[in-house]
Amino acid sequence: MSYFLGFFQYISDLGATVMMPIIICIMGCILGAGFGKSLRAGLTVGIGFIGLNLVTGLMGDNLAPAVTQMAERFGLSLSVIDVGWPAAAQIAFASTVGTIIIPVCLAVNIVMLLTNTTQTVDVDIWDYWHFAFTGALVAVVTGNQVYGVIAAILNMVIIMVLGDWTAGGVEETLGLPGVSLPHGFTTAYAPIAMLFDWILDKIPGVNKISFDIEKMQKKFGVFGEPILVGTVLGIVIGAVAGYDIPAILQLGVNLGAVLVLIPKMAALLMEGLIPVSDAASEFIEKKFSNRGKIYIGLDSAVGVGHPMTLSVALVLVPITIFLAVLLPGNQVMPFADLAVIPWMFVLITPVVKGNGFRALIIGIITLAAGLYIATDLSQWITPAAQKAGFDMGSATAISSICDGANPLTWAITRLNWINPFVGIAVVGVIAVGLALMNRKKILKEAAEMHAAG
Amino acid sequence: MKRILLVCGSGICTSTAVNQKVTKALEDRGLKGQFQITQGKASEVAEKSKQFDLVISTTVLGGECHCPLVIGTAFLLGRGTEPIVDQIVEILQK
Repeated sequence: MSYFLGFFQYISDLGATVMMPIIICIMGCILGAGFGKSLRAGLTVGIGFIGLNLVTGLMGDNLAPAVTQMAERFGLSLSVIDVGWPAAAQIAFASTVGTIIIPVCLAVNIVMLLTNTTQTVDVDIWDYWHFAFTGALVAVVTGNQVYGVIAAILNMVIIMVLGDWTAGGVEETLGLPGVSLPHGFTTAYAPIAMLFDWILDKIPGVNKISFDIEKMQKKFGVFGEPILVGTVLGIVIGAVAGYDIPAILQLGVNLGAVLVLIPKMAALLMEGLIPVSDAASEFIEKKFSNRGKIYIGLDSAVGVGHPMTLSVALVLVPITIFLAVLLPGNQVMPFADLAVIPWMFVLITPVVKGNGFRALIIGIITLAAGLYIATDLSQWITPAAQKAGFDMGSATAISSICDGANPLTWAITRLNWINPFVGIAVVGVIAVGLALMNRKKILKEAAEMHAAG
Repeated sequence: MKRILLVCGSGICTSTAVNQKVTKALEDRGLKGQFQITQGKASEVAEKSKQFDLVISTTVLGGECHCPLVIGTAFLLGRGTEPIVDQIVEILQK
């Protein structure tokens, strides 16, 4: 396995902008998308990487010095820049684990389907990067790519099982029958939401509180517009940092540009992956369409439009910024990922059954914890980013409040930091245990279906 | 020229995937050059839909929509798309 990984190490040392076109092109050809289409797809991904680097470089150069100056003036400890999930996806796909993540995850899905440990055919190939991200961090803390690959696999197994278990809520609350959301970021919050929902249910008085938060969407709607969030945040940070007026205005427009341009570049990454993703999902679906009850695993973006999800996330944008400044020990300056708070709530919404009060409380708890997690993980995200040839501009430390604040990613990484054997063993036991529990449930349901039919 | 607003959660991921599929399906129906697709976010529908002839969404929508709306999650599932395409064609040819 180490020779095998050594080969991928060589390819990944070429730099993401060269490596990704090669990998995507080869993978597209193997899956039967044709050479011309695969080559164009590969180059599109490479171009997406270059575009992302230009924008994140601009962000680092503008935001980092301003935040540093602001922090120095007011004795804040904010020194880590939140570069956002597109950057995290780039780091993940460009890592050694990332180069083989697509075939590895396809194999995991197939094995799980064959052993009846999942009911989900996960056609959301793009979001495999979340598993690669965990793997890349584990590879950094252990210094061993093999542990990274194993960690990515275990991460996926856990998420696939949680995806099956939350599929009922997805159908009921989000109105998507036959769909599960095995998403590395969204789905990691499902067990946390269940836990806190249960606790809130046990507190007398508090368990009666419920309010409708959806009306707040109009009032807080402005927090959903990256162009305004970026510009206003830039102006505020510039002013607090003690810049003069021209510099304040320049910082505002520059940061507005960053938040508008990052998603455009990420769209190129996505576009380039479509031929591979289509071919892979067609392949896996054809093989497993004749089985019992099957869910199609989609990107949790299909659930983001729920009005409560959007409203809670909008309200939490300003709260997150205040938390970042107020919480002692937090070092992360939230920025690019303020736009992806809705993804955190896609599965929290069904768990709290539309109770806006509980969604807000769970959101504040998870975001506060998330800031500490993002602070802690930045020590490994930063070197992983450097290894991936990521342009940080003049920022010295980076993180993300999306995947850099993911509790499952953090737990897996920290356990492997203690000791890779302990880490893999503990996570392995949990993953296999969950898979076996799921198998029992699937077989029981299949027997009932059989008896009824 | 009919204007279509294609939305998902972020305006990036699933809308990019569905954009390619809808474009191909409509071109196969001989509508090439008669429509223009713009990608956007679900949260923008209430405000932007006035300027469009049709909204296709990959996600559930809560707010108001000021033009015909089609839910296009089927394009991500890769099955059951034919009736959706019929519906889109009908709206576009009105």
